[in-house]
Amino acid sequence: MLMPRRVRHRKQHHPPRRGVAKGGTSVTFGEYGIQALEHAYVTNRQIESARIAMTRHIRRGGKVWINIYPDRPLTKKPAETRMGSGKGSPEWWVANVKPGRVMFELSGVAEPVAAEALRRAMHKLPMKCRFVKRETGE
Amino acid sequence: MSEVRMSAELRTEFGKGAARRTRRAGKVPAVLYGHGEDPRHIALPARELGLALRSGANVLLRVELIGGTELAVPKDIQRDPLRRTVDHVDLLLVRRGEKIAVEVPLTLTGEAPTTTLVDQQQMTLSVEAEATSIPPGFEISVEGLDVGRSVTAGEVVLPAGVTLLADSELVIVQGLASPTAAEIEAAVEGEPAEAAAEGAAAAASGEGSGAGSSGEGA
Repeated sequence: MLMPRRVRHRKQHHPPRRGVAKGGTSVTFGEYGIQALEHAYVTNRQIESARIAMTRHIRRGGKVWINIYPDRPLTKKPAETRMGSGKGSPEWWVANVKPGRVMFELSGVAEPVAAEALRRAMHKLPMKCRFVKRETGE
Repeated sequence: MSEVRMSAELRTEFGKGAARRTRRAGKVPAVLYGHGEDPRHIALPARELGLALRSGANVLLRVELIGGTELAVPKDIQRDPLRRTVDHVDLLLVRRGEKIAVEVPLTLTGEAPTTTLVDQQQMTLSVEAEATSIPPGFEISVEGLDVGRSVTAGEVVLPAGVTLLADSELVIVQGLASPTAAEIEAAVEGEPAEAAAEGAAAAASGEGSGAGSSGEGA
């Protein structure tokens, strides 16, 4: 599963869930992609699950790109614990995804196959998404 | 390529507030520059511009301004990431018969063998062409493209009057070995186990040195 090997600080503040994606808003590497339409924290488990769903469907051929990386730790305090006594322990690694971001890309397969593979992957993600195609000449 | 006529008006106020007012009025802020002239800030009708750009990013525009008309091609198009509407466009002034450098889109045709994974590395090709006859696109056939074979920029058939600006050895599309179903399944099954082991190792190292002010990954 994707996670940083070394980090400077084990516990961070929550990343902001506002604004729209500044970059990575178009399909750059492949032919088809999944674009986020809402803000969300996407965990490394969700990214892996989406990748597996996509890869299982395309079966043969095709190349997959993952354009997001879960580099933000989120912490959680244990259940039935009183408040205080410091911040909880790191529980998840998430990517802070903003609307407009193209998270996954796919190439090397026919459009109907790509659309279905990406649709399956979208079901593993925690926000509304849409299927996008590369825009030529821009 | 045919010209698209478009009436434009000069903009007199600038900044994001003015740009947003222009967009609300159904226009797109644009800038017109080239030939060493001072840039002119104009507003174009959003609907007509959107339709013109749908026919290709290198569409030739005849911009009608007060005091004359100008020929221009889009140099840069900024779009809203979600709505995909045009936010701003840079227009480059051109003259009839003038040669300009443009990025022409490439499209793949034909069916590659099932054992080949077609890897398209370049989506556009940089060429020099007359402003009034920019090719809408180039087709590259991947019919019979075997593993290890590639198509370079030098192999693209260019129409008369068009010269290649990109390196002729630039790889546009190459044939890679397509992973088999078993390989994909192995990758799907293998990676989580591998990653879990890696994560456990990282956690162990994090615990070991985590007491200091510069703790490591969990």
